[in-house]
Amino acid sequence: MLKLFTAFIFTLVLTLFLTSTVAAVPKKLPQQIKTDSSKISVKKFDAKAIEKLKAEKDFNYNGESTGEPTWWDIFWQWVWNTLGKIFNSIPYSGKILKYLLIALSIALLAYIILKSLGIDAMRLLSGNAKKVDIAYSESLENIHEINFDDEIEKATANLDYRLAIRLLYLKCLKQLSDKNLIQWQIDKTNSAYQHELADQQQKQIFGLLTRQFEYVWYGDFTIDKNAFGNINLLFQNFNKQL
Amino acid sequence: MEDGIFEQRTDLSKLSAAVEQMKAAISKVIVGQHDSIELLIAGILADGHILIEGVPGVAKTLTAKLIAKSIDVKYSRIQFTPDLMPSDILGTSVFNPKTTEFALKRGPIFGNIILIDEINRAPAKTQSALFEVMEERQLTIDGETYLMDEPFMVLATQNPVEHEGTYRLPEAQLDRFLFKIEIQYPTLDEEIAIITQQHHQKTNDQLLDIKPVLSASDIKSIKQTVKGLHVEPNIIEFVAKIIHESRNNKSLDLGGSPRASLAIVNGAKALAAIKGRDFVTPEDIIAVAAPVLRHRIMLTPDKEMEGVTPDNVVSQIIQKIEVPR
Repeated sequence: MLKLFTAFIFTLVLTLFLTSTVAAVPKKLPQQIKTDSSKISVKKFDAKAIEKLKAEKDFNYNGESTGEPTWWDIFWQWVWNTLGKIFNSIPYSGKILKYLLIALSIALLAYIILKSLGIDAMRLLSGNAKKVDIAYSESLENIHEINFDDEIEKATANLDYRLAIRLLYLKCLKQLSDKNLIQWQIDKTNSAYQHELADQQQKQIFGLLTRQFEYVWYGDFTIDKNAFGNINLLFQNFNKQL
Repeated sequence: MEDGIFEQRTDLSKLSAAVEQMKAAISKVIVGQHDSIELLIAGILADGHILIEGVPGVAKTLTAKLIAKSIDVKYSRIQFTPDLMPSDILGTSVFNPKTTEFALKRGPIFGNIILIDEINRAPAKTQSALFEVMEERQLTIDGETYLMDEPFMVLATQNPVEHEGTYRLPEAQLDRFLFKIEIQYPTLDEEIAIITQQHHQKTNDQLLDIKPVLSASDIKSIKQTVKGLHVEPNIIEFVAKIIHESRNNKSLDLGGSPRASLAIVNGAKALAAIKGRDFVTPEDIIAVAAPVLRHRIMLTPDKEMEGVTPDNVVSQIIQKIEVPR
């Protein structure tokens, strides 16, 4: 039964196909062909407009012939070829990438120059590079330029014994430095100078003088004329021994 | 009298005696480390918290315990672990069914000397629980503020070489420590002395012989004395220049804070008092500059890779600045 039904469907489809094929055959062509006899008017292009368009750079798609390539062109050709080889793709010569590479090269060059000059480029950009100097009178003082005797005399005359003790101590350091017993440096502490003294007796007396100076100068201990006289005598005796 | 000329203005006899007793008691157990012990005592006198750093086995915890035991105050110890919660340190409110009210169950932070062992093993969440109590000496829990008893001091230890399971302390917390004391390996002679001492040790507990030499009230009065010590304006300017230079130094990403300036002055005052002086000298400033700054400053990555240490930079900074005299 199923076979019979299948055969019926097949016959029906075949019949429909053949019928449509026959219907698609073209009908017989007409005997005469009509000709177009309308009048043709020839239009001419505006030669000036064509020349003007030709002169415009934007329409020059083939590029201008510039003769021999410059070193700059050769360099960029090399860059694109190298990049093409590295990235395994067709050489790219886009202007954006070209300008980006130029900008990066300039930035790198500037960084190298700043680094070689010891300037922190990052701080320069962040604005933290500006150093603030603190006004500090002592830093301008050079013990080798002070006339100690005059200054001590002035301080004593003004009853400023504290300042006089300080000047006595600085004078003592200068004399030790002049005799190469210590190496004067701004960052050295009093005990560092004491350790530099090789002679044990000098070391001991200098230690005592340092304590006197520290009590007066850092400790702000008040001293009268008699106390100053005693300390002054100790300094004078030490300076004579040098 | 000082060398027959200067009358002593401030009575430091009690302080000097107590410091000598503490040093003597600690030196019975700890061999060497004299500078570190002096800084620890200075930290107590300056009312600061101290971070002790050292490789395993250099007696960091023992030193901290000895310091704590030499003062007759409430001492508590917290072992920091990665799973520690803020409430484990501070305490928590617990419902009391009898009174039908919540009551605070106080944590171990409620003490006088708190030893936090291996502080860098707890995460930032737990570390931040210490911010308020370390700076303001008070705690706020459930809207209630609790003032800490005086003296209040955090002694923390950490190990610099181990990174597994550790967390870097937040900068805000590091800034709250007055000093970071680095415990170094002992010298050859000290090593021999340590072995010999341990060999002849009769008891296992080294802390049994340590008796308190200072009470809480002693500490309070000594702190007041230290606070009142004289600091010359040129010394203050010297400190300011050091800190300022640290903020502009090329090797540093982060310089010292104003809290660091104050810490240098306070630490130097305490050190001067220990040395029997009632005024600060530039040497006191230089002596405390590295312990105050080494945990506060932050090196630039390139300097860190070059192997430069914070102490190197502090030393360079001090070399640039003229000692006031």
